[in-house]
Amino acid sequence: MSDAPQRWSDEQVALVDLIDRVIGGGVVISGDVVLGVAGVDLVYLGLRLVLAPAHEVEQSVALGRRSG
Amino acid sequence: MLLYAVVPADAVPPDKRGLNDRNLETIRGGLAAVIVEESSEGLRPTGDESRAFAEIICDLATTTSVLPIRFPTMLPTRSAVLAELQANEAAWRRRLTELDGLAEVVIHVQEAEAVHELSSVPDGSGTAYLLNRATAIHRREASVAEISELVRALTREIKVLHPRQGVRLACLVADADVPQLRDAVSAWQEARSGRQALVSGPWPVFSFVGDRETVSK
Repeated sequence: MSDAPQRWSDEQVALVDLIDRVIGGGVVISGDVVLGVAGVDLVYLGLRLVLAPAHEVEQSVALGRRSG
Repeated sequence: MLLYAVVPADAVPPDKRGLNDRNLETIRGGLAAVIVEESSEGLRPTGDESRAFAEIICDLATTTSVLPIRFPTMLPTRSAVLAELQANEAAWRRRLTELDGLAEVVIHVQEAEAVHELSSVPDGSGTAYLLNRATAIHRREASVAEISELVRALTREIKVLHPRQGVRLACLVADADVPQLRDAVSAWQEARSGRQALVSGPWPVFSFVGDRETVSK
């Protein structure tokens, strides 16, 4: 991994921002998921459907450790 | 059902097709409505699909105020969507009202010097690395404070986003103030050589949909 500066065009920055916000922002909905194998439902989970970029998960874990 | 956005109950979204090439539908409650598309298969947030989803949200936002829903969120049935809507519509409606006429812009600032310092640890020494990291973090915090102060009068809320490099701030701005904010950032950059500042947007308010997630001024 390099820390070398990367100059992006306005269009590239805009596209990256938009996609980042689509999967990293927005309303989070609670939902239910059934996990199954070979068509047989095995586990029914009530959970919050949270998809976040890895860095946000890392930050949440770190904050949880600090407060815990 | 693939969920796209929360809109006011009386909104009339345009006829559009979704990622699965089916018509978008509006499931209405008393205070808010949810834009959905029939979809039985899970979607992965690939670049192309995320971009297509974003374009649909941006189109919706040109006709009504929206709270984008994080992509990809799916619920199994219409009744599940309706149950979610009924549980949250009062809060969603409140936030839609608060956000009416506002947009999100993202400000990037990159400091060439700080990046060079980080990448120029000659001997791989741990102390040198930590000192350089500390310098970079202090510079970053100073830039966040400086940019926040610069745009404070034009913004309702500011959220610091995780950057790959430099500083990235999401700002909640009145639609009418977006050009002024761009001009302010541009003038700030011109007065400071060695820094690159970019503004993207205006976007729908992806970073400011809930009170929990916002960082107030």
